[in-house]
Amino acid sequence: MMKDPFGGIILNIAFRMLVPFSVVYAVYVLILGESSPGGGFQAGVVMGFGIVLARLILGEDTVQFNIQAKNSLALAGFGTFIYALAGWLTLFGGGKFLDYSFLPFTAEHAHELHALGILMIETGVTICVMMTILNIMDVLVRRSEDDGSVQ
Amino acid sequence: MQIYTIEALLLVFLIFITASIIYCRDILSSVYIYSAFSFCAVLLYLMMGSPDVAFTEVVVGTVSTIFYVISLKKIDRWCK
Amino acid sequence: MRGFVITVLALLTGLFCSSVTYLPTIGNPYSVPNQHITPVYIARSEIDTGSPNIVTGTLADYRGFDTMWETTVMFLSGLTATLILSKSTVGRRPEKEDDYE
Repeated sequence: MMKDPFGGIILNIAFRMLVPFSVVYAVYVLILGESSPGGGFQAGVVMGFGIVLARLILGEDTVQFNIQAKNSLALAGFGTFIYALAGWLTLFGGGKFLDYSFLPFTAEHAHELHALGILMIETGVTICVMMTILNIMDVLVRRSEDDGSVQ
Repeated sequence: MQIYTIEALLLVFLIFITASIIYCRDILSSVYIYSAFSFCAVLLYLMMGSPDVAFTEVVVGTVSTIFYVISLKKIDRWCK
Repeated sequence: MRGFVITVLALLTGLFCSSVTYLPTIGNPYSVPNQHITPVYIARSEIDTGSPNIVTGTLADYRGFDTMWETTVMFLSGLTATLILSKSTVGRRPEKEDDYE
């Protein structure tokens, strides 16, 4: 199904506008999620949607957007590890688990440490959600190509 | 008062859409009607004052529609 | 049997519709779930977490441990999808490979 790129000129041109917009918007949602609606889950889903769209339109053979299932699964675990790493860093700093005032970095005010901790865990959540979506997508597509039931 | 009218209309729409998802004979049509369900849910979330959940619902509705269509392609049932 | 099921369903629907009137209205500050710890969060969220968004402050700071296991659930869902759907050869007997398709 995804081996051959489908579309034509309209989808190709629209793809060139949509995918960079969705990725940049995902980064915006991630960074500005502390003071506006948004956050890690939303940023991850938007970024994963951009890459799923590129994968659907360009087909399987493009190297840039083709993330294998095992790599995406490992990266999803890495995102969860980043979240837990924030908690462990606060433990090493002498506080309780996920108490961002005790992050072992130098800052003038505790609010900066809180903002840094929140950004760190949101990055972890973003990587985990994005890679989970790409993983499910890749597994579904590969299965539908392999078992010969297509057309 | 008007906002309550629109909210009640959206809730009635949700009930009808859910019934039509269940009673539709074609699975692909059910998937497409499910995206309408997602749209009504987005408007309801916006009215209840939670743009976070509405944002998530927009994107998850889109991505889950793509996943459902790929799964339907996998089990080789496009149309009836 | 069908009449009995319809009767029970109608009874339950009437029960639910009558119990809707006892629910607190949306945005009522004096309802029970809005009086327990929500005023404390609203008052102290910006002081404690430094985040102007109360939702982010609650989700990532006050309830950080909860969100961590939520992320783990996401990862486990992807892992389960891979384990079920992928064509792995682990634990598969080679003489019956065609039967698994």
